[in-house]
Amino acid sequence: MIRYILKRVGYMIVTFYVVITLTFLAMKMLPGTPFKFANRLSPEQLNQLKHYYGLDQPIPIQYLHYLWNFIHGNLGGSFQYGMQPVTEFLFQRFPISLQLGFESMIFGTVLGIFLGIVSGIYRGRFLDWGTVTLAVVFISIPSFIFAAILQYFFSVQIRIFPVIGWSGPMTHVLPVVSIGVGVMATIARFMRTEMVEVLNQDYIVTAQAKGLSTNAVIFRHAIRNAMIPIVTVIGPLTSAVVTGSLVIENIFAIPGIGSQFVDAIVTNDYPMIMGTTELYAGLFIVTILIVDVLYGVIDPRIRVSGGKSI
Amino acid sequence: MNHLLEIKDLNVIFHIFGADVQAVRGISLQLNKGETLAIVGESGSGKSVTSKAVMGLIPNPPGEIATGEILFEGRDLVKYSKKQMQKVRGKEISMIFQDPMTALNPTMKIGKQIMEGLIKHQSLSKHDAKKRAIELLQLVGIPNPEKRVDEYPHQFSGGMRQRVVIAIALACNPKILIADEPTTALDVTIQAQILDLMRDLQEKTGTAIILITHDLGVVANLAQRVAVMYGGKIVETGTLDEIFYNPKHPYTWGLLSSMPKLHAKTDKLLAIPGTPPDLSNPPKGCPFAPRCPHAMKVCTEHMPAYTELSATQKAACWLLDERAPKVDPPTTIGVGGES
Amino acid sequence: MTAKSNAEVTKELFVPAYLSDTESEKISGKSVSAWKDALRRFLTNKGAMLSMIILTVIILLALIGPHIFGYDIDNQDVSRANLPPKIEGLTWLPAFSGYENGVDIYKEKNISKNYWFGTDQFGRDLWTRTWKGTQISLIIALIATLADVLIGVVYGGVSGYFGGAVDNALQRILEVIAGIPSLVWIILLILIMQPGLITITIAILATSWLSMARIVRGEMLKLKNQEFVLASRTLGAGDGRIIFKHLIPNSLGMIIINTMFSVPNAIFFEAFLSFIGLGIRQPQASLGSLINDGYQMLQIHPYQTLYPGIIISLLLICFNIMGDGLRDAFDPKLRR
Repeated sequence: MIRYILKRVGYMIVTFYVVITLTFLAMKMLPGTPFKFANRLSPEQLNQLKHYYGLDQPIPIQYLHYLWNFIHGNLGGSFQYGMQPVTEFLFQRFPISLQLGFESMIFGTVLGIFLGIVSGIYRGRFLDWGTVTLAVVFISIPSFIFAAILQYFFSVQIRIFPVIGWSGPMTHVLPVVSIGVGVMATIARFMRTEMVEVLNQDYIVTAQAKGLSTNAVIFRHAIRNAMIPIVTVIGPLTSAVVTGSLVIENIFAIPGIGSQFVDAIVTNDYPMIMGTTELYAGLFIVTILIVDVLYGVIDPRIRVSGGKSI
Repeated sequence: MNHLLEIKDLNVIFHIFGADVQAVRGISLQLNKGETLAIVGESGSGKSVTSKAVMGLIPNPPGEIATGEILFEGRDLVKYSKKQMQKVRGKEISMIFQDPMTALNPTMKIGKQIMEGLIKHQSLSKHDAKKRAIELLQLVGIPNPEKRVDEYPHQFSGGMRQRVVIAIALACNPKILIADEPTTALDVTIQAQILDLMRDLQEKTGTAIILITHDLGVVANLAQRVAVMYGGKIVETGTLDEIFYNPKHPYTWGLLSSMPKLHAKTDKLLAIPGTPPDLSNPPKGCPFAPRCPHAMKVCTEHMPAYTELSATQKAACWLLDERAPKVDPPTTIGVGGES
Repeated sequence: MTAKSNAEVTKELFVPAYLSDTESEKISGKSVSAWKDALRRFLTNKGAMLSMIILTVIILLALIGPHIFGYDIDNQDVSRANLPPKIEGLTWLPAFSGYENGVDIYKEKNISKNYWFGTDQFGRDLWTRTWKGTQISLIIALIATLADVLIGVVYGGVSGYFGGAVDNALQRILEVIAGIPSLVWIILLILIMQPGLITITIAILATSWLSMARIVRGEMLKLKNQEFVLASRTLGAGDGRIIFKHLIPNSLGMIIINTMFSVPNAIFFEAFLSFIGLGIRQPQASLGSLINDGYQMLQIHPYQTLYPGIIISLLLICFNIMGDGLRDAFDPKLRR
């Protein structure tokens, strides 16, 4: 198990190194200048600025410089905000995005697991049909459209929730629901499939043959086994939640890194884009690692044999 | 005579894809205390469905017991509520399954899986239940039971798992044990061990066994009485000796002929040609008629009644009618090889 | 017992009935090829059929729609800006009455023509733009998906079929690529290349082939060790025959299913990128950019987001349901 984790951490570091290198290369290939009012500056002034930021040095030197700084936790300063360190922005804004992500994830997972279980047990009945249909709809509709609908009806029309902002529980409802329904639908579908499959297993019949009550069979034998594979969708879901948070933060004017990222893209704020990209990549990679390890911990079949082959 | 279990005219129907599959069509059976009854037949003959019906485990929907009675110690299990049935399952009647690899919950410790029934039916404390679980593991011949009780199924071999399944089934000293193809999924050497174990345990506990199988070798090993099923019906019943040495139904002949024999003169395997009938549209005559080498016109038209051949043996075949031509059983049915 | 009374059973019936082999060997129940079986199940899936009809209608409208009124995608005329939808004959429906907040805007602006989906702030006909945008979204999805199938099948096929060192190397590469969130990939690619139709297509393609490659590899690994392939090999079949006669036909189901899920994924990413301003540039329109344009006006003129929003949602829902339908049709596990 420990060897397995170490191997995974090794892969993780390689992947992360590739990501930061790619981001660096991508930034070097970007068109446009990162300076505001560049067209108003004389060539000398522009060169001075470039020199100041080290942009006139050969790319390999810049790259080493960049790596050196990266290791020391220096991601450079934002071009748009007077060279304020990028890390400062990230530290300040990341907790907000993390909170939004977590709340959406919890909301979606809890509801999704519940719906999936109910749907799996009542397979083929109306309740199941409703859940399955709803799940396809929620998986399909992009979160930004869903957010627009919610915002229009609940904020503009009947004014229950504030239109924008991130202060107090009421402001959390719409953004969390907008991102969370997708999570909910994905998990509900997955859980349903697992539930149906587990309920068809022989060991369920064994449990029934022991004379256990229906509840005992479902709770003790079916749900636990059906829930284990849920862990595997958490990785892809994290990615989906990050994607969703980009637009949702913009729509609801939430001061997280998602809205910051979109701003940075529009204003060519290179260091900010790089920093945010790396943060996202890091988050994703670590999530995948945790999910894999977690899977090993909760499934006794893997726990003992030490790691699954991927 | 008072039987431990008596099945009377049982009909089980599955409603699948708009069709009604009549998996079991009016069978009657008796099981006495402490005896072993084998139900023999090929896949789809309705033998597993019969056992599930006794356990009250016919999945509904799509399945249902249409008519019939299952009398256990005189009480009709068909009329039992879900709750009442739960008190019978595992306590009075329990079951072991074909595939030990899938019959155990992969994420639950072996001990806990044995303890569940004990806690439910005998209201044992966790501690006592665990002690009993260890005893049971010992009883079914698992070495090191104190240690293995805390292990997961995937840490056991197939044969060992089947022993665990048997331990679960025997946990509450049931009066009837239904064994659905208990050795089919196992290696031949392990099969013999499991059969020995079952015979041993039956001697110790006096449990009656209903053995569901298509393997006549297993039947010869364990059973005292045999019921041969075909197309959802019992075509012949009798004692082990009657079925093996004096079979009357052509299907039984076919089954016995197709059994590989150790000392047989030919090296050819004899098969019964053809496929079993489609039970969503069952034949109106004898279900075996289309495959029967001795089929007469009457066979496809009318279902034969049982002919009592002895106090214990009866068969449903038109050949036993006095108007039928005399047909001798094939010479290939001679029992050899197996014990 | 169902035995008949002996009166019905006459002596004449006790003669041997010689049954032919065909009779005893007759298989009860029809035999159906796997493909026909899948097709039959797909065709009886009501949801999938309804989705197919809706998709056909949308595709037809995307082709015909932009030409109905003779407007161009960029015909601006501020005098007819922000007109709500109005369809003659459907004016009893509030959504198509030409009224907004109780005022007949058409009367107010003295416009006699009908704009079925209304107009935007520049007075461009939204009907034309919406269907043109649908066209572009569909084209992007189609190209991205075709390329994704091609790359994914080849990559996964090579990796799975040849196995060993080749597989190992290809899988490590794939693992690193998959380790990067697709969003990061896509955004970096779009930043380097100028936003536009081709860029978006490439960016979507860059991540979507991964899942196809994985699935095809998995299928290859599974199939190539199955008995029927080994049997074929023992009979002397070469790589080519095994690949084309056994592996591809047997993994085609999985490939088709995954393709069905790739399409909505591509449509979504295009819309997403256009929505955050990295997609199609003005005056071009895609469903995403239309929703983005309309979103700025959501509180005043909700109809400007409504129709592109409905169409993209319908597209995504229908493609997903069809994908589900295909998966159920092909999945032998559900054949119980």
